[in-house]
Amino acid sequence: MRDCKIVSRKFELPNSHTLEVSKAHGGYKTLEKLREHSPLEIIDIIKASNLRGKGGGGAPAGEKWELMPQNSLKPSFLAVNCDESEPGTFKDRQIITKDPHLLIEGILITCYAIRAKHAYIYIRGEYKQFQDILQGAIDEAYEDGLLKECDITVHRGAGAYICGEKSALLESMEGKRGHPRLKPKQKEPEWFFDNPTLVNNVETIATVPFIVQNGADAYRAFGTEQSPGTLLFSMSGHVQKPGVYEAEFGTSMMEYIRHFGGGVKGGKKLKAVIPGGVSCGVLTAEECENLTLDYEALRCMRSSLGTGGMILMDEDTDMVVALKNILEFYHEESCGQCTPCREGTGWSDKLVAKILEKKGTKEDLNKLLEIADTMNGKTICVFAPAASAVIVDFMRKFRDEFEAKL
Amino acid sequence: MSEMIDIIVDSQSYKVQNGSLLIDLLIKEKIKVPYFCYHESLGADGNCRMCMVEIEGQKRPQIACDTFIKPGMIIRSKGENIEKVRTDILELELINHPVDCPICDQAGECSLQEFYMEYGLHDSKISISEKVKHSKHLDLGSNVMLDQERCVLCARCTRFTDKITYTHELGIIGRGDEAKVTTMPGRKLDNPYAMNVVDLCPVGALTSKDFRFAQRVWFLQTVDSICHGCAKGCNIYIDHNKIKYQDDVIYRFRPRRNDNVNGFFICDAGRLSYKQLQENRLESAILNGEKITQMQAIAKAKELLAKHKENITVVIDANLYTEEIEAILAFAKELNAKVCSPKEVYRDESFKDDMLRSSNRAANYKTIERLNIDTKEPDSSSLILNFNHPQDFEATSVINFLTHNRLSLGLSLPIAAYSENEGTLTNEDGFTQKCEKAIFKNVPIPTIIEHLIRLRR
Ligand SMILES: Cc1cc2nc3c(=O)[nH]c(=O)nc-3n(C[C@H](O)[C@H](O)[C@H](O)COP(=O)(O)O)c2cc1C
Ligand code: SF4
Ligand code: SF4
Ligand code: FES
Repeated sequence: MRDCKIVSRKFELPNSHTLEVSKAHGGYKTLEKLREHSPLEIIDIIKASNLRGKGGGGAPAGEKWELMPQNSLKPSFLAVNCDESEPGTFKDRQIITKDPHLLIEGILITCYAIRAKHAYIYIRGEYKQFQDILQGAIDEAYEDGLLKECDITVHRGAGAYICGEKSALLESMEGKRGHPRLKPKQKEPEWFFDNPTLVNNVETIATVPFIVQNGADAYRAFGTEQSPGTLLFSMSGHVQKPGVYEAEFGTSMMEYIRHFGGGVKGGKKLKAVIPGGVSCGVLTAEECENLTLDYEALRCMRSSLGTGGMILMDEDTDMVVALKNILEFYHEESCGQCTPCREGTGWSDKLVAKILEKKGTKEDLNKLLEIADTMNGKTICVFAPAASAVIVDFMRKFRDEFEAKL
Repeated sequence: MSEMIDIIVDSQSYKVQNGSLLIDLLIKEKIKVPYFCYHESLGADGNCRMCMVEIEGQKRPQIACDTFIKPGMIIRSKGENIEKVRTDILELELINHPVDCPICDQAGECSLQEFYMEYGLHDSKISISEKVKHSKHLDLGSNVMLDQERCVLCARCTRFTDKITYTHELGIIGRGDEAKVTTMPGRKLDNPYAMNVVDLCPVGALTSKDFRFAQRVWFLQTVDSICHGCAKGCNIYIDHNKIKYQDDVIYRFRPRRNDNVNGFFICDAGRLSYKQLQENRLESAILNGEKITQMQAIAKAKELLAKHKENITVVIDANLYTEEIEAILAFAKELNAKVCSPKEVYRDESFKDDMLRSSNRAANYKTIERLNIDTKEPDSSSLILNFNHPQDFEATSVINFLTHNRLSLGLSLPIAAYSENEGTLTNEDGFTQKCEKAIFKNVPIPTIIEHLIRLRR
């Protein structure tokens, strides 16, 4: 497997989170030549690299940057999404603790390109100790005079998963309840207090310095045509060595699991993998056999790559229990504004609980699918459709385990 | 203004403004689509997901409250597919609802009940004990009670305090099926328009402490009227009922939409002013503190009019109907009397705000101005005829025509209140509006015009 450390290059260095170590290993180098490019040229480089958003959706970053007005009368903002709350996903915290200066460097480049003078980092409430490290790095950068033209403010969330959804994140930053907003009808930026705003994931922004430093082609040298570059893939669950390991898109999933993760824990047989955080459709071991880790391959499997946080489940896993675990999460985290989601996540959780108590009936299984259908495609954000897909996939692929409990 | 275009809804063509909201068209054309969260005064929030329609060319059903009309759109609001979608969402809406309609004040005017009859009619799939429990009677303040279990979380009430009054007392806390409406910590619902949330609430979650348990809404009769609380002239409904063997009683005022005047709302002071129409009313004629009959009173009044041929002043309340004011003016002319309507009493700067409430607390003040009636205090007179003006006046003799008991000497004759009579008012912005007669009392109190006729005989 090819070594391809773009974002995690400095992770292993002692005190990698300090400015001194960062600078000694090439940190902030891009800033020296940044002004040789116009903001639009930077956006062109990002577009040419086809950098795709690493927060789960995989949307081309350059196209989003391009939506930001270059001559706005209102101030523009960058909001860096560090809400990272999807079960199975724990990559962004590696960046903010192991190489926060890489993120800051990326923020400075991005703000230059979109003409923003202020960036916010919205950080998950539970990440207090990681926030302290990040804040330490920002303080160092201020002292060093790096943030003369651009301010960075860390905004701590209050512990709601839904605040990772970009519009809910901005509502939350505005001091309101984290409710996703209705989607705009045309392509436009996000809005923070009615000011044009770009929302990108931590890792997306942390990838920017490499691309600007080495050029779009250097980035495209990794990965596949449509999914170029690398991702901080991660593994959790029944795996020998859980953790975060950067790899290029298009890597074979099983090879990745063997190479970095040392295979399934205890040498057991693999039963299923949820490929990129719980919102991505579950895959059986057979389906994973020849699978590659890129957006297109997973879309073909009617799942998605998400954040690349794989959850492995071995042969002894009770899939009904696993589904219950995930549904508890959705039940707890639905923001509660859309009726199908607010009521559907709770009801489906209760139905699976009933099945686990061996009180379920065939009718309950049908009801579960019916609820899933009502949750799909009828809500403001994709939280409910994700929950719906989880239910449908578990029941479609492991129906016998559910029926055995009736 | 954008151009008018054609679209098709349920095979019928409509002319609409390009870019306008689909749900507004559906509401206007009375094309029935269920909805909770949209309200014309609050805009779209898109949370209830009930207003789904099918739009040709779109894979999934879309919410009408967030669909902007484009030329050539073909929309289906009916049909098996879309009705199934609504039924399914409604079933979820009801899953944690207590279904306590028999004891709910909203029953009969509840959107949820209505939609259930239309799209639901399914048996409950979950037992009462499994439902999420919340508080059933929270006193939010300002006469508003909240039953969190009945709430459908449409956020109309919270959007009202956020976007209309900017007072931000209400909010939603908790996530998922634990989400509930409540007041901000340490605060009460407390603003001069608070009770409008009761009308906005599509279900029985918010009820008025003043009205709850008083009447079943289907017994109430509704009449169009105008609030007399100030010169704004907010349009209202008077909801009243006459129970057998008892008198006709007003149970509540509700705002009546008028985009030129009050929009969708009224203030709480105006809403509760119905009480004054039924409290402390002067019901029989009084002479120097002693009750006398109507006949005796008219005779006494005629005697006083004959005695004081000169130096008579007629004082008019600026809340009377235009028809009454004009009749009084004609009568005053016959008596050769001076006429005035002292205005100072109506000024109340503390009442004024930048929403609806006016510092001028006389409902028909504009008419007093139009008819050039003197607004200064009366000069000393030998006889004063006071037509319900709030001040008391001194003169050799006084004849009062009053709706309410007062500690005034001389002769007082009872008159019908505005709810017991019909007439027109002109508000401070110049809109002339009509009030219908709402109340038919068992023993009717004469109107001013009836009194004037008798006095002339
Ligand atoms: C329910 C939900 C939760 C999300 N949580 C996160 C999150 O924790 N972190 C994140 O970067 N993006 C999250 N997203 C995606 C964001 O909405 C947004 O697309 C992303 O931050 C954009 O950045 P990117 O294009 O760089 O990926 C979430 C989306 C949804 C629907
Ligand atoms: S789908 Fe669920 S999480 Fe998303 S906005 Fe609606 S209620 Fe909130
Ligand atoms: S209390 Fe009524 S108005 Fe407020 S959110 Fe609940 S249902 Fe809507
Ligand atoms: S009225 Fe459209 S979603 Fe509620």
